[in-house]
Amino acid sequence: MMDDLDDLLAGASRALVQPSEALMARVLADAAALQVRPVVVVARPRAGWFAGLAALFGGAGSLVGVGSAAVVGLFFGFVQPDGLGAVADLWAVGSVDQVDLMPQLDVLLAEE
Amino acid sequence: MPRDTLAELADEALVVLYAHGDPDAARLLAGRLLPRVLGYAGRMLSDRAEAEDVAQDAMLRLWKVAPEWRQGEAKVSTWIYRVVANLCTDRLRARRRRRAEALDDVAEPADGALSVVAGMIAADRMAALDAALAALPERQREAVVLRHIEGFSNPEIAEILQIGVEAVESLTARGKRALTALLSGQRVALGYEEAE
Repeated sequence: MMDDLDDLLAGASRALVQPSEALMARVLADAAALQVRPVVVVARPRAGWFAGLAALFGGAGSLVGVGSAAVVGLFFGFVQPDGLGAVADLWAVGSVDQVDLMPQLDVLLAEE
Repeated sequence: MPRDTLAELADEALVVLYAHGDPDAARLLAGRLLPRVLGYAGRMLSDRAEAEDVAQDAMLRLWKVAPEWRQGEAKVSTWIYRVVANLCTDRLRARRRRRAEALDDVAEPADGALSVVAGMIAADRMAALDAALAALPERQREAVVLRHIEGFSNPEIAEILQIGVEAVESLTARGKRALTALLSGQRVALGYEEAE
């Protein structure tokens, strides 16, 4: 009889009890309710170099103003119009010494 | 993680993945563990509805403990069978208490277990086995089911039932002898040839 019992027990071991769909649904609903949701980290788009530079100067409008002034300054520095010294004399108080640090544009052109 | 890769992982790894929010880990764990714990609870309680409640409760406890689960400390299967064993013990005690209150001073039939088996003459072998298992003392039934049906080793059963390995060996041996005695009168009905 012991062999028969072993056969019976082995048969029972092979026979899996299938849970009903309702039970499986309840178990999975419990799991979903108790599961910690993963935190989704959304990377913010990186600002471009122009946006960073504009922020440094207080916005795009300020940057355009500063940039324009710089270009005009460079223009006068290279061209040095004849009347510029007279205008400078009007603003200057006392004597002003003018030092020619850069050759004029026509001199540079004449050398080529 | 791809489902094929998940399916190859051990239960312990799936518990950790579940705790970290993996949506497929719970489905795989339930698919592996629920049929086993449901079968075990069913054999312990002989009541499908109660077994489903116990199985759901045991799985619920697994979901709750998952965030604190540390790999390498315990096997998930051993842990959940211990939970089921304790839940079944509680329900069997409550059942005995209710029966005792209902019957008050009326004594239990002395040979109720055998009469259950005798009543299963026309039933198939599995039903007869379940009836015979139900007639065993609770601890013997637990040990026999865990050893011979669920396939656990004696040290694992000792961990589940929280007793010594020697006690497990004694319980399974006595349980099998009792089962043999209970079923010996059923040989012909169960389709076995008479012993010569």
